[in-house]
Amino acid sequence: MRAFPSLLRDAVPAAGAGLALIALAFLLDNDFYLRILFMGGVYFLCATGMNVLAGYAGQKSLGQAGLFAVGAYAVALLTTRLEIPAAWALAAAPLVAAVAGVVIALPSLRVKGPSLALVTLAFGIVVEKIVTEWTDLFGGAQGIYGIVPLSHAGEPFGMRQWVVLVIVLCVVSHAILAGFLRGRFGRALLSLQTDEIAAECAGISVYRYKTLAFVIAAAFCGLGGALIAQQNQYFNSDFITFHLSIFILLLVLLGGAGRLHGPLAGAVVLTLTETYLARWPFAQHFVYGALLLFALYLMPRGIVGLFDRLPARKRPPGRAPGRQPAMPVRTPEPGTGAPLLALQGIGKAFGGVVTASDVSLEVWPRRIHALIGPNGAGKSTLINIVTGVIRADGGRILLNGRDITHASAHERARLGIARTFQNLRLFGDMTVMENVLVGAHTRIPGRSESQALDHAAAVLAFAGLSGHAGTQARSLPYGVQRRVELARALAGEPALLLLDEPAAGLNPQETAELGRLIRKIGGLGIAVLMVEHDMGLVMGVSDHIVVLDRGVVIADGNPVRIQADPRVIEAYLGTDEDDEPLEAAAC
Amino acid sequence: MLITLLQALVGGLTIGAIYALVALGFSLTYATTRTLNFAQGDFVSVGAFVGLAAAGLVAGALNIDPASYPWIYTLAALAATIAMGLVGWPLYLAAIRPFAGKPGMSWVMSTIGFGIVMQSTALLIWGPGTRMLAAPLGDGVLRLAGVGFRSQEVVVLVLAFLILGAFDYSMRHTGMGRCMRAVALNRDAAALMGIDVTAAMTISFVASSALAGLSGVLIAPIVSASLFMGLLIALKGFSAAIIGGLAHPRGCMLGGLIIGVVESLTGLWSAQWREIVVFVLVIAVLSVAPNGMFGKGAPEKV
Repeated sequence: MRAFPSLLRDAVPAAGAGLALIALAFLLDNDFYLRILFMGGVYFLCATGMNVLAGYAGQKSLGQAGLFAVGAYAVALLTTRLEIPAAWALAAAPLVAAVAGVVIALPSLRVKGPSLALVTLAFGIVVEKIVTEWTDLFGGAQGIYGIVPLSHAGEPFGMRQWVVLVIVLCVVSHAILAGFLRGRFGRALLSLQTDEIAAECAGISVYRYKTLAFVIAAAFCGLGGALIAQQNQYFNSDFITFHLSIFILLLVLLGGAGRLHGPLAGAVVLTLTETYLARWPFAQHFVYGALLLFALYLMPRGIVGLFDRLPARKRPPGRAPGRQPAMPVRTPEPGTGAPLLALQGIGKAFGGVVTASDVSLEVWPRRIHALIGPNGAGKSTLINIVTGVIRADGGRILLNGRDITHASAHERARLGIARTFQNLRLFGDMTVMENVLVGAHTRIPGRSESQALDHAAAVLAFAGLSGHAGTQARSLPYGVQRRVELARALAGEPALLLLDEPAAGLNPQETAELGRLIRKIGGLGIAVLMVEHDMGLVMGVSDHIVVLDRGVVIADGNPVRIQADPRVIEAYLGTDEDDEPLEAAAC
Repeated sequence: MLITLLQALVGGLTIGAIYALVALGFSLTYATTRTLNFAQGDFVSVGAFVGLAAAGLVAGALNIDPASYPWIYTLAALAATIAMGLVGWPLYLAAIRPFAGKPGMSWVMSTIGFGIVMQSTALLIWGPGTRMLAAPLGDGVLRLAGVGFRSQEVVVLVLAFLILGAFDYSMRHTGMGRCMRAVALNRDAAALMGIDVTAAMTISFVASSALAGLSGVLIAPIVSASLFMGLLIALKGFSAAIIGGLAHPRGCMLGGLIIGVVESLTGLWSAQWREIVVFVLVIAVLSVAPNGMFGKGAPEKV
């Protein structure tokens, strides 16, 4: 019924706005006003790409001027030195800039916060200095003259034609990017901005998505630079400054970072500001500085954020009951008689502290396994090793007989390993529905957005969260948040579900509900491995218990055997004489 | 050849000591607020001009030549340090306090904005031209085994190392230093222990800005001072702080010296490529060691 709902949703209004602006361009016959439209369009293009990187992926790059330069000089050199036709050069510029985007992404992937700011900033400075100092090639402050512009019927483009071209580019870019950002792609970026580890465990390749965001931002900035260079038919190194980088980031932050229409708001406001201030060059710097200083204080969520509270924001409506699809479950791999998960001789030491030493265990489908042991026994470490959050020093991990020892966390998620975290790692600013959709990340390709919503709704219904679908995750009570995290893990249709202290912080009633939910999950055919201190819960729901002490498996078996095992009692109580039952001891 | 290298080393250590002072300033504010003052460069250049103005005023009033009275330079340095330190307080109030402790990096924008306003004001007063501040000990050159030390290089090296040493000592051995470190480690716990966290944050910005102002006066006799000179100095100080590890004041100082020396040695080969080499090196270091050369990133607890 709705094949590309999100694409049309943004394309129609964008095209309308574009047509109105083009009509305006034909009414204006003053080059000054046309130039304002042109500059606004170029700013919008830079901002819309930058919003993907800085707004959605949260990578606040301070070196976009460098990529702007790459696009501009690509056009300049291609048309003047290689005499490539202008249209081809303009098309090539974003691609060249995209390659530069990869170059800057690679060192940026591992650093965060101020270090990321420095890496990107250093990139911008390096480009600035290269184009300034390497005068033989780039002309330095003298610049490059004679850049060939686009032409129509043998005549170089006039200002009006440039405006039309830029507006068309803006409309197309916005429609395409918005379509992606509203869906799986945008959610993946927002999730990795909030919590890279949780995103990775939901099956999102953090590296790949971050790199993609850098490349998109680079291509759009490069396009902006190329348009400016071609329109001016001249470019020099004075364009490329640290302040241009700041300006491009400001376009996004002022408009509203991570908001679809933020770049539009930012481009409009900053273009107008610049235009009005150009009449008083004396005041220009003051006002610009004051804008930087106070705008984000007054509008922390940008200009778009100002309109949030006016009408109550529409949330995705709750699905009508009755037409809900059944809880989706992964089709099990053909039974080979092998365990679902097998750990073989896993070892891990942090410095001198051994947290896992030759640990071997097996996990079977449809069964609830519990991993217990005193504090510091290495339980969470084992969960982290199985999910790929940390690497084992030695040993092998087999999933369905396949060796996944060296697979990354997101690959393991795709193969069917999902988890919850000891300390909640929800995407707090997202709704419950969006959290679950992120969890379903690896299951969405090939499905339309509405099928994805149905899938997520089914998971929410299964976890008893349907009523909270549109609520911001952060605002929910703690116990419900824990269930949301569980639902997020289930949305990935896991074969194996790992729960790291799922009952921590829950009251007795919530714990009992959790126990029922876990059994229900086992009933779906999913294998569960949980780390838990609540012995009531462990003994109540587990089919099989593994006891870990100081990195060594000291016992395993069914709950009855474990409770009677003298080594287990000793590990928990530290003495031989005391015969207190385990339940009482472990509270 | 050896003499040339040693000479470049002296020059590098001098400019490196300036970067170290700026880097220390970054480290101080990062410790208490997890924010950085991206207007540090404007504090350096405006500091230099405040020093120039103070020297000019006094020399003019007494009708003497500032070059022949070292105490005038001392006065200029004090004036810049105090004036910039005082500006650090409104900087904290306007640009940092609204954003400290919140996610996002809005403070990058707000501090840059503060810097632009300050620079524009200074441009109104002093104009865009360059000026020379007379070196307090004259233009003589001290020769040690063939290596020449300009008098101002000696002043910068001695003073910078004294200040760096004093900061290092007071961070470790005074009550105030302990308070600052406590705030750096855990702001909430420090507040619960009765430490005035707001005061610690304000002090860190005052100290950081004062250091920047002093750096301006120290560098002014070596390079000609302009209101645009601060940007690159601050960016290199920032680089020094990051590759040395923002959380390690000693690493920041060492980082500054390393960047100064690298820059100076590159200058032997090609003056134009200095910045390119320095910043490419910074990118390379961070690609290999994301937490800086001395930082051991605590693994995130999952």
